[in-house]
Amino acid sequence: MERSLSELEFEVDGQGLAKSYGALKAVDGVDLRLRRGGCFGILGPNGAGKTTTIKMLCGTVIPDAGFLRAFGLDVATEGRRVRERMGIVPQESTLDTDLTVYENLWVYAGYFGLSRRESLPRIEELLQFFHLREKWGSTIRTLSGGMKRRLLVARALIHRPRLLILDEPTTGLDPQARHLVWNRLRELRRQGLSILLTTHYMEEAAQLCDRVGVMDEGKFLVEGAPLDLVRERVGEEVIELRGSEADSLLRELDGLPFHPERVGDTLYLYCQRGSPVMDRLLQSGRRDFLRRPATLEDLFLRLTGRELRE
Amino acid sequence: MSEFLQHAPSHRAVRVWVRHLVMYRTWFVAEWAGSLTEHALYLLAFGYGLGHFVPDMGGMPYAQFIGPGLVVSIAMWSASYEATYGAYSRMRIQHTYEGMLSAPLTVGDVVLGDLLWCASRSLIGAVLMLIVLTAFGLVGSPWAVAVLPVVFIEGLMFAGLGLIATAIAPSYAFFNFHNSLIVMPMFFFAETFFPLQGLPPWMQAVSQAMPLTHAVVLSRGLIVHGQAPDAAWHLLMLSAFTLAFLAVACGLVGRRMLD
Ligand SMILES: Nc1ncnc2c1ncn2[C@@H]1O[C@H](COP(=O)(O)OP(=O)(O)OP(=O)(O)O)[C@@H](O)[C@H]1O
Ligand SMILES: [Mg+2]
Repeated sequence: MERSLSELEFEVDGQGLAKSYGALKAVDGVDLRLRRGGCFGILGPNGAGKTTTIKMLCGTVIPDAGFLRAFGLDVATEGRRVRERMGIVPQESTLDTDLTVYENLWVYAGYFGLSRRESLPRIEELLQFFHLREKWGSTIRTLSGGMKRRLLVARALIHRPRLLILDEPTTGLDPQARHLVWNRLRELRRQGLSILLTTHYMEEAAQLCDRVGVMDEGKFLVEGAPLDLVRERVGEEVIELRGSEADSLLRELDGLPFHPERVGDTLYLYCQRGSPVMDRLLQSGRRDFLRRPATLEDLFLRLTGRELRE
Repeated sequence: MSEFLQHAPSHRAVRVWVRHLVMYRTWFVAEWAGSLTEHALYLLAFGYGLGHFVPDMGGMPYAQFIGPGLVVSIAMWSASYEATYGAYSRMRIQHTYEGMLSAPLTVGDVVLGDLLWCASRSLIGAVLMLIVLTAFGLVGSPWAVAVLPVVFIEGLMFAGLGLIATAIAPSYAFFNFHNSLIVMPMFFFAETFFPLQGLPPWMQAVSQAMPLTHAVVLSRGLIVHGQAPDAAWHLLMLSAFTLAFLAVACGLVGRRMLD
């Protein structure tokens, strides 16, 4: 049974958030909700307004309209207390490039009022957790891009936040490092951490998030549990055909339950599992197709279009 | 009101200062090797070289006349440099400020930390220059150390002025204007190298309007005689300039850092 949700069950509760830059509506009426212990993923093409939305929580972007609370505190008036409880991984590195890994961490711990004695063991632990032990004395300039990303995540956790905010946490990471970060984030979630992230990797959202929202032009187009959204909006399976005579094929399949989409030389047929479309294709002797489960990526492309954004 | 207080500074500004100190250890030797050498050269070339041909100035040997001016000048350059190139890099290039603001620091903490840091650098420069003057036997009184609080206020003042430039600068190149139109004229005309008496009235007026002049007069009095004429007046003027610059700087930097 669905319990009624009191305000305090939300770590983040934003309503009607808006931000314009001149004539451009970067964020245009967004409701942002994250349940305690949950993981919410904001998906969206470049320029959708993801970073701007996140910066509202950090207090560096002041919304033109709307209301934003975190942990029951008003972000507009209690920003410092809000930031004491959350860790932020920005899209672009804000590490101190001339300092070492270790110095970066303890200087940052100082911003939270942690003494050296408190932060030392925590730094050890985090460097271990993110496989950065050997790098503790290296200056940031000498780190690879992936190491910097991992260090940013480690830094955001220095004060044991309740909520972790990640703006594209794994962009530029190799597959091993990406899986390491995903593993770590899942482990932290099991310990009760709430997570808000943005990503361009649908697999990341599928792996980590219990809810996602697809944002475009400053608005959420849909929001919900990833699997439900895919099933409702796309279907369960996708059949991809390449280079086929699309029109004649569609005529052949006329009357069957599916939704076609043509992009370049590829025809996508979205349908439910066990759909007769498959049988019909096999009967007609076709073998040049790919059948796969529908994913968040299909949902994303269906909603935001397949063309490149400016 | 509470939204305004959001940005107020707190004791956490000290953590910003600590960050700058940690950063500083990577290049302070190079900095002072340059800056101190430069000012020691001014002392040698003007104070002793030119001073050889110049009779006593203001009732003292020329080297002794310009020495105290160089103490506050090194402090001015140091704070200005840090508040322009240093702060600009933190604000626009390395996103250091953004990192601080994503922690529980406020714009007030960041600005105050920067101001304190600039003033600290001024102090370091002034102390080093005082040591040089002592070595040349140009310090006339142990009360010379009283110049240090003056230097601290002066450092805050030029930090504020520099941060104003930083907040409106579209790029590093802008600081050429700041240096050659604001800092450099003070370096030459704020009673650093010659006294005002007998100069054309317009030049006296310009010089009097320069904030550095008040620091130079205080510095010369304290270092040479252990006391400064009209000290209260000069301190008041110095403080007034400082407060004015700080107020403008805080407003502009806040606007630049928050969208
Ligand atoms: N400070 C700013 N001044 C002017 N326009 C801005 C500013 N910040 C963001 N924008 C604009 O607002 C829109 C949303 O930007 P935002 O950074 O939130 O997008 P995003 O969803 O994070 O994109 P990406 O996936 O590329 O990171 C963009 O059109 C961007 O150009
Ligand atoms: Mg972004």
